[in-house]
Amino acid sequence: MNKQEFLTSLESRLQKLSKEERQDILQDFNEHFEVGKEEGKTEEEIAHSLGTPSQIEKEILASYYVDKVESTSSTSNIFKAVWAVIGLSFFNLVIVLGPFIAIVSLIAAGWITGAAFVISPLLFLINVAVFPDSFAFFDMFFSLALCGLGLLVVIGMLYLTRFGTKGLIKYLNYNVNLVKGGMKS
Amino acid sequence: MNIQFKKGALELCVLALLNKQDHYGYELVRKISDRIAISEGSVYPLLRRLKKEEYFTTYLQESQEGPSRKYYQLTDKGKDYLYDLLKEWQQFSEGVNHIIKEGVSNE
Repeated sequence: MNKQEFLTSLESRLQKLSKEERQDILQDFNEHFEVGKEEGKTEEEIAHSLGTPSQIEKEILASYYVDKVESTSSTSNIFKAVWAVIGLSFFNLVIVLGPFIAIVSLIAAGWITGAAFVISPLLFLINVAVFPDSFAFFDMFFSLALCGLGLLVVIGMLYLTRFGTKGLIKYLNYNVNLVKGGMKS
Repeated sequence: MNIQFKKGALELCVLALLNKQDHYGYELVRKISDRIAISEGSVYPLLRRLKKEEYFTTYLQESQEGPSRKYYQLTDKGKDYLYDLLKEWQQFSEGVNHIIKEGVSNE
């Protein structure tokens, strides 16, 4: 393989990269060929010791994909990461799973309370339908008041859920970064 | 030799060479391949990656013959990274040497 063949083959394999980056890489290899020729080597010799364009392609694209994953950390990626983090040690099980369960159960409790309050007039009606004797104005007004309170609780929970999710994602990211930082070496 | 293993060593070699003075690509490749069997093309992806991590910067410099060359210069961040790697490498090679020594002397 001579220089032209080598560079053409490499260029066609790097179409995924931006034009700028591709040109930059080709320029590096072009320089390598030129300096090698000045030292009296043939293009074929230089190409041979460089290795195959397909191998170089693999190494360049591998780091390209890693960068991509790191720049788009979606919620599903974060949850995958949480499992990975938890799997690392018992310490992580406590500091990651603990707050996770606490936040999730707090939010679940809030929603259940809100929902129960909202449907309490319905429960009152069912009660009256089944046991007509038990009708009481106090129960009726109390259940209506609970319904209004429940609506407020539900609205509050909407905000709390959004806020809690955001906080959780932040906390998970922080943990993932900790682990990543620790694993970098 | 194991590829992953070699890559770590290659990184260390590049950083160590640049610690002493700035080099251009071909020079780095030649100095390493004089002593270790590598596929020379994989040095360039490595250089790109380390540059992205800001372990070194590059600049172009004219040469008497031929086109201008891209020189690589180690940053302070790169120096810190080099010393981290060096510490790990020394621990690792000491451990391996120790094990080898024991294994061979017990035969």
